[in-house]
Amino acid sequence: MKLKLVLSVSLLTLSAAALPRMANAEVAPLDLVQPIADYKIYVSENLETLVTDTKAFTDAVKAGDVDKAKSLFGSTRMSYEAIEPIAELFSDLDGSIDSRADDHEKAEKDPEFTGFHRIEYGLFTENSTKDLGPFADKLMADVTELNKRITDLTLPPEKVVGGAAALMEEVAATKISGEEDRYSHTDLWDFKANFDGSRKIFDLVRPLVEKEDSAFVTKVSGNFDKVDTTLAKYKTADGYELYDKLTEDDRAVLAAAVNTLAEDLSTLRGKLGLN
Amino acid sequence: MTQTAGSSSPRPSSQKLMKLAVAGAALLVVAGGVAFYYASKGLKSAASGAITVTINDSACDPNEITVPAGRSTFTIVNKSNRALEWEILDGVMVLEERENIVPGFTQTMQAKLKAGTYEITCGLLNNPRGTLHVTPSAESEAEAARPALVSFIGPLAEFQVFMAMQANSLVKATKALDDAVKAGDLEKARESYQKARAPYKQIEPMADLFADLHNAIDPVADYLEKREEDPGFTGFHRVEFGLYAKNSLDGLAPVSAKLLADVTALKGRIRGLRIPPEQIAKGAGRLVGQIADTKITAGEDHYAQTDLADFEANIAGVSRMMALLKPVAVQAAPQVVADIDSRLTDTNSALTALKGPDGYPAYDKVNADSRKALAQKMQGLAEAIGKLNAAVGLE
Repeated sequence: MKLKLVLSVSLLTLSAAALPRMANAEVAPLDLVQPIADYKIYVSENLETLVTDTKAFTDAVKAGDVDKAKSLFGSTRMSYEAIEPIAELFSDLDGSIDSRADDHEKAEKDPEFTGFHRIEYGLFTENSTKDLGPFADKLMADVTELNKRITDLTLPPEKVVGGAAALMEEVAATKISGEEDRYSHTDLWDFKANFDGSRKIFDLVRPLVEKEDSAFVTKVSGNFDKVDTTLAKYKTADGYELYDKLTEDDRAVLAAAVNTLAEDLSTLRGKLGLN
Repeated sequence: MTQTAGSSSPRPSSQKLMKLAVAGAALLVVAGGVAFYYASKGLKSAASGAITVTINDSACDPNEITVPAGRSTFTIVNKSNRALEWEILDGVMVLEERENIVPGFTQTMQAKLKAGTYEITCGLLNNPRGTLHVTPSAESEAEAARPALVSFIGPLAEFQVFMAMQANSLVKATKALDDAVKAGDLEKARESYQKARAPYKQIEPMADLFADLHNAIDPVADYLEKREEDPGFTGFHRVEFGLYAKNSLDGLAPVSAKLLADVTALKGRIRGLRIPPEQIAKGAGRLVGQIADTKITAGEDHYAQTDLADFEANIAGVSRMMALLKPVAVQAAPQVVADIDSRLTDTNSALTALKGPDGYPAYDKVNADSRKALAQKMQGLAEAIGKLNAAVGLE
């Protein structure tokens, strides 16, 4: 069973590696400057939102307002998840802001387990803000530091373009399974943010790819639309339904579209001459 | 345990032998496909044999790896009991990563690495990290000496962001200036004038590429036939003339309105500007040269006497431009880069030295010796910047 999967994963890698050979890499490097600049501005705007939202979220945690903190958890994460390809470039901050219990030896009890998911664990599993104050302060400090570092960062173009696929792979690996927000089940919020972040990158470089391969652009847009329509069914007044409301059929539709998107978007770097 | 590229045969335990054999076969197919891909693209370097890294519960095996600079393929085998991500780190920065490798699974990752020493992660966040040595190769040395055009995409994009932000500040402050002029608020108008001036001076090396707008936004009366009475006397200095020489807002409303329209047009044009990489050092060097040759002697801000603040903003913009090129240029031309750095420091020190407790003195109070000293610093900086393009293969 696993053996078969290993093979199929390897073969998928093979096809992804072989595809750019056939694609036309006629995109001039300077054509990418404006899309990358626009993406930096998109990242900066999201970081500004993240800092503001995290302040409100951590204030609620520190004030002991469990209900308010819970209600802000899903939305606060969205601006982080949308720019994850860049946000996770700093390994220390990625670990302290967004690591999961599994990344730590003693899981939930590990003192190094901090950040969003540690607070999520307290709020949703223990239904309490007890002892969360230091984690709230640390998260706020880390998010502020992240904003500062990214402001000074020259974005690596291959990370930006590769980010479109990375976000969809992230969805396929951790959101479809519902493992990311395992205590709060707010995975659809993250899902939507990852999706928006991926689509933003695609939209920015779309005019460059369209010239070379309009069929590719049509196919990718179609799958983005499919995911968007399916996700929209779960939109509520102030966000998204909990992940367990997702029907098996819709989960299958999303999984298929997301996997195809991840595979197709993985050829984007090659198409733009960034491999 | 050290492993070098080329000798990458894993030692499978007997119960995993079959699985690894099949996976290995699949990987060979992948490696073949990858090699074919590069061969068909006409690149000189093919993947130089995959490096296998096995992650067990507490460490990487091997824990120390050496590869030549350029493209490498890593095969990561997760023999731990948890899903993991494998990362190559340069300090805290993630250079490359492969996420969500499930226990028992193998993933491949390609990385194009520059010479240096990096860390590799090995499972749990508190597991000790391994070391990746990347040794210089003929190809990497050649590429460092003459960086490919793609390596300038990042710096150029960042420069676009910088200019967009300065242009926003410029438009915003000019709008406040225009509002203050219309409201008859002389003090507010002077304050907004200074606020608008700084961002304009920061992007001047690119703003002056648009001759029509430059002539409308920043002409100096000295160069106009009828000086202050010339109909071509518009823009910043015309506003300055009213605010600081006549101490009056009379007749300024159409001038500030036109200035606002012009800087707004400039913002739009800068957004669409396609800047070739050589233009950065060229523009910066040209501006600093002009400051050294003429601006320090003649001055531009005849009525407000705020030339030193202009120079400071000019140098701040030039510093930004140089900082953006530095990561690309430093490998090819470490000495040129160091020279520019030290001359920027000298120039800033010379400016700072002129500051009093209330900031910069009026420019007409700056004596000839001080001006000469400042001009020399600017001249040295201009010359240092002038060597950059040739040193990184941009000429």
